[in-house]
Amino acid sequence: MTKKLLFVVRALPYKTEASRLALTHAIASQSVEIYLEDGDLVEATIAFIGDGVLNCHKDQQAMKHYGITPIEGHMKNTLLLDMKVMICKEDLDEFGLTEADLLMDADDIGGEVKAQIVPFGEIAKEMESVDHLLFC
Amino acid sequence: MADLKSQTPTQTLDVLGRVCPYPLVLTKKALEKIPSGGILKILCDAPASAEDSVPRFAQDKGYPIEVVKLENSWELYIQKT
Repeated sequence: MTKKLLFVVRALPYKTEASRLALTHAIASQSVEIYLEDGDLVEATIAFIGDGVLNCHKDQQAMKHYGITPIEGHMKNTLLLDMKVMICKEDLDEFGLTEADLLMDADDIGGEVKAQIVPFGEIAKEMESVDHLLFC
Repeated sequence: MADLKSQTPTQTLDVLGRVCPYPLVLTKKALEKIPSGGILKILCDAPASAEDSVPRFAQDKGYPIEVVKLENSWELYIQKT
């Protein structure tokens, strides 16, 4: 049986650990099958909505401004692990952000999937389809 | 058991410098792509992955595995069956 998780990230990328923890937990969830019943799997999806879409901004200057590593590495690792990453189009529009402003792939580290900019309705459908919904 | 390390690997996966859970998840991903019977060689320096999670995964799947401890890292050989 496959258990589906959806991490809905609403937190800003910095001054809180919420978004970083969401990505870390989503990544970690991909290894738990070794502790589950034979054949059980966990599939994690990540959706960025509201202020959370700012996590997807590329060329973040976290080290310069906050002295910490940027969220970008975590973002790339989710794509490297083939996780589905959804970014809310309406919220990007609110911030005046376009695809050109965002980290959409992890080509440089061997990633094969891309983040998807989708209308909120698609994220809402995903919310209804999963077994566990985690807001961060 | 076949001596996996003496055979030419189908693919080599370098996860040196990566910590758990990346070695395991990238191993799973690599194994999905190699044909049945193929051998995946994994270069790893994360103890928890090399000694626990990756061997446990291979055993759960029924894939033969050999783990070779080097000075500061491990080589793991998994045959996809």
